[in-house]
Amino acid sequence: MIPEALKTSLETRVAEAITPREAAVDVMKELQAHYGWLTDEAVVEAAGLLGLSPLQVEELATFYEMIYRRPVGRKVIHVCDSISCWCADCQGIITHLKERLGVGLGGTSADGMFTLIPCCCMGMCGDGPAMSVDGTPYGRLTPELVDEILELERQKA
Amino acid sequence: MPKLIIDDIPVEVPPGTSVLEAARSVGITIPHFCYHPALAIAAACRLCAVKLLDGPVKGIQMSCSLPAQDGMVVSTQDPEALKLRALVIEWLMMNHPHDCPVCDEGGECLLQDFTIAGGHGRRRYQGKKRTFMNQYLGEGISHEMNRCIECYRCVRFYQDYAGGTDFGVTGSAGRVYFGRFEEGPLESPFSGNLVDICPTGVFTDKTGRFRARYWDYEFAPSVCQHCSVGCNTSPQNFQREVIKIVARRNDQVNGWFICDRGRFDKGSLNDPQRPRDPMVDGTVCSFDEAIEAAARRIFEFVREHGAGSLAFVGSPRMSLEGGILLAELARLTGGSQLCYFTDQSNQEGSLAAARLLNEQNAACLRDLESATCIVILSCDLMEEGAMLALSVRKAFLAGAQIFVVGAVAATSHQEIPFKYTAVASLDDVPPNGGSGKIFICGSGNRDPELLAQVASSGAKLVMLQPGPNGLGVGLLALERKTTSLSELAAAGKVKGIVCFEADVPQSTLGGIPVLVCADWRNGETVRNGTVFLPTTPWLESDGTAINYEGRAQRFRSTKRPGLPLKGLDPKYYGSAQEASRLHPPRVHRQEVPGGAEQDVWRVMAGLIERLGGEQIVDPLLGKWGRLKDLDPEGEGVRVLDWAKT
Repeated sequence: MIPEALKTSLETRVAEAITPREAAVDVMKELQAHYGWLTDEAVVEAAGLLGLSPLQVEELATFYEMIYRRPVGRKVIHVCDSISCWCADCQGIITHLKERLGVGLGGTSADGMFTLIPCCCMGMCGDGPAMSVDGTPYGRLTPELVDEILELERQKA
Repeated sequence: MPKLIIDDIPVEVPPGTSVLEAARSVGITIPHFCYHPALAIAAACRLCAVKLLDGPVKGIQMSCSLPAQDGMVVSTQDPEALKLRALVIEWLMMNHPHDCPVCDEGGECLLQDFTIAGGHGRRRYQGKKRTFMNQYLGEGISHEMNRCIECYRCVRFYQDYAGGTDFGVTGSAGRVYFGRFEEGPLESPFSGNLVDICPTGVFTDKTGRFRARYWDYEFAPSVCQHCSVGCNTSPQNFQREVIKIVARRNDQVNGWFICDRGRFDKGSLNDPQRPRDPMVDGTVCSFDEAIEAAARRIFEFVREHGAGSLAFVGSPRMSLEGGILLAELARLTGGSQLCYFTDQSNQEGSLAAARLLNEQNAACLRDLESATCIVILSCDLMEEGAMLALSVRKAFLAGAQIFVVGAVAATSHQEIPFKYTAVASLDDVPPNGGSGKIFICGSGNRDPELLAQVASSGAKLVMLQPGPNGLGVGLLALERKTTSLSELAAAGKVKGIVCFEADVPQSTLGGIPVLVCADWRNGETVRNGTVFLPTTPWLESDGTAINYEGRAQRFRSTKRPGLPLKGLDPKYYGSAQEASRLHPPRVHRQEVPGGAEQDVWRVMAGLIERLGGEQIVDPLLGKWGRLKDLDPEGEGVRVLDWAKT
């Protein structure tokens, strides 16, 4: 169940859209922020708000990599494995991240702080290899820099 | 009209035609998976690649999404195009399981055909295949996602064409998944078409899986007799059993698709309890004995009570041939009563349609799809003619206004695949529209005055019928000015009835004895008949039916009548006289168990002969003779402009 205030604000957002479907991403992101991830319950609630079927929300939710349909840690690391970063040895960075966090791709560290997810290009091809942590982009990564960033993000939390 | 050259053949096609369709028009089939003439272009499979040697665009192009243009020189056989297609096949096969031997699609699989045709016979990819969890999608359709090649045909049909919202595509990239939000029966009443439209075995017909291969089936062109739309079907039979029913294309009636009722509702056809043996007073006998007894009883009844107190009763589910001979029977006995309808309101509705409709005002499928305003009047569309809902949806998507008058629509169990404005009465519908306006009336609306009012408005009409051949028998009833059985019975004019494929409720029957009953369905009337003559259902009959728009369509017998081999009672292992105690049976028998049934018109022809009439070779008497050469694989013939003269 979402709070009445959130529901009202989302209803306003949907009403402002020319077609309800175009508000779908906003609604899903808000619900995700509320629940921590987009739960099954949230999908059904989003469908109700948007006038779509739960399946139609699911179609959109599973398409976008920043909508999480499974529980995630407090901060999500999106590490790029697309072609430019691959040329800049993102594999080394990904291996390093896996070792540091003690997880595989898609996993959440034991302390519940980070979830590691690969992503396909963040538009930082000039600064590869790149990743984002909780929405903050980081480029020209080296294993040492990754360690610093993880520490910094841990402290910020 | 663009002129182009495809494989050295000059082709001229209407503007907007794709290169793929242009090639097809001169008999060149370009392999394709995602392309389907009824659906929007996706260009997802990349298989229909051709090379353009000259013209406005050059090089490798996808022929499904490339409109034919002047000056194009297309090669479908260029080595570069062939190579690309071979690689696409190999790539599509990368994740596809090698489970053809246990896949129900095997033998009728487009992927199988094109893999072989593309020359891909040896696997190079050594990695792991991506796999999925399947979902339970109801009792009609089985789901096997691992076989998917991501052509998007299913979702384009389900959501875009049929308006379903509970099935779609999730995920992205290598995780693309076609299914539901959570497991459960598919909600669309057109979901069965996923079986036909999937180019491989992701969706297979659960009601007929693992029974036989394509080459085992007995096939013939048939016409669905569940409602008066008359969709074209191809029933697939094996060992005297209807295994699957698939859609058959008829652009004038049903396009490429059929509804789930037409596809899955076949239990009554295979029912081992279906009455298949001729009987006299509850005792099984030969067909000749039963016909003899029937003729004798009719003769004696007429001698005792007079021809006028005997009623010959047919029904809207009887073929046109049956309807014509029913009148002959009534005439032959010296003026017996003739009823094509048991129920008075059914008769009124059908007669009104037969009277009011003509070639100009009877709306066909194309009219519906291009209508600007559609008024659905006291009609449960999903129940009485579900396939029309898809045409109404097309009109709706093109911007037509849809009105539903009355509350009848709410009785449907199925969700209507378009948005409409519900209004209380006809007066609330804006009077504009003119030529683009179409009224859809259900057979439930029996008010002939209202129908006449609607017809006089100048709009086109769809009048759905109470049975598959409702308009056919309606035209016969109009010509012969017949009365319904309920009216005759209420007036006390009938002392005995002879039923042909008619369901007479006990309330109408009262105490009137049923002398003879001929039917293929197990009903109350069958149990009441003193003489029972088994007839064949449409799947096992040659016949003609006239659909709601006055289109006569011929259906062919698709299988021999008889009990399905599967589950056959062991009593049939022996001879008719002696049961076999041991397996295997050692007794030869010539007759098919339960195979005594005959087409309803043949039963009537037999009776007519016994009653002293002429031998009837062709039941399409008089003006109906025009339909003799009706092609079962054609589009049918509209009869309204000559059938009423």
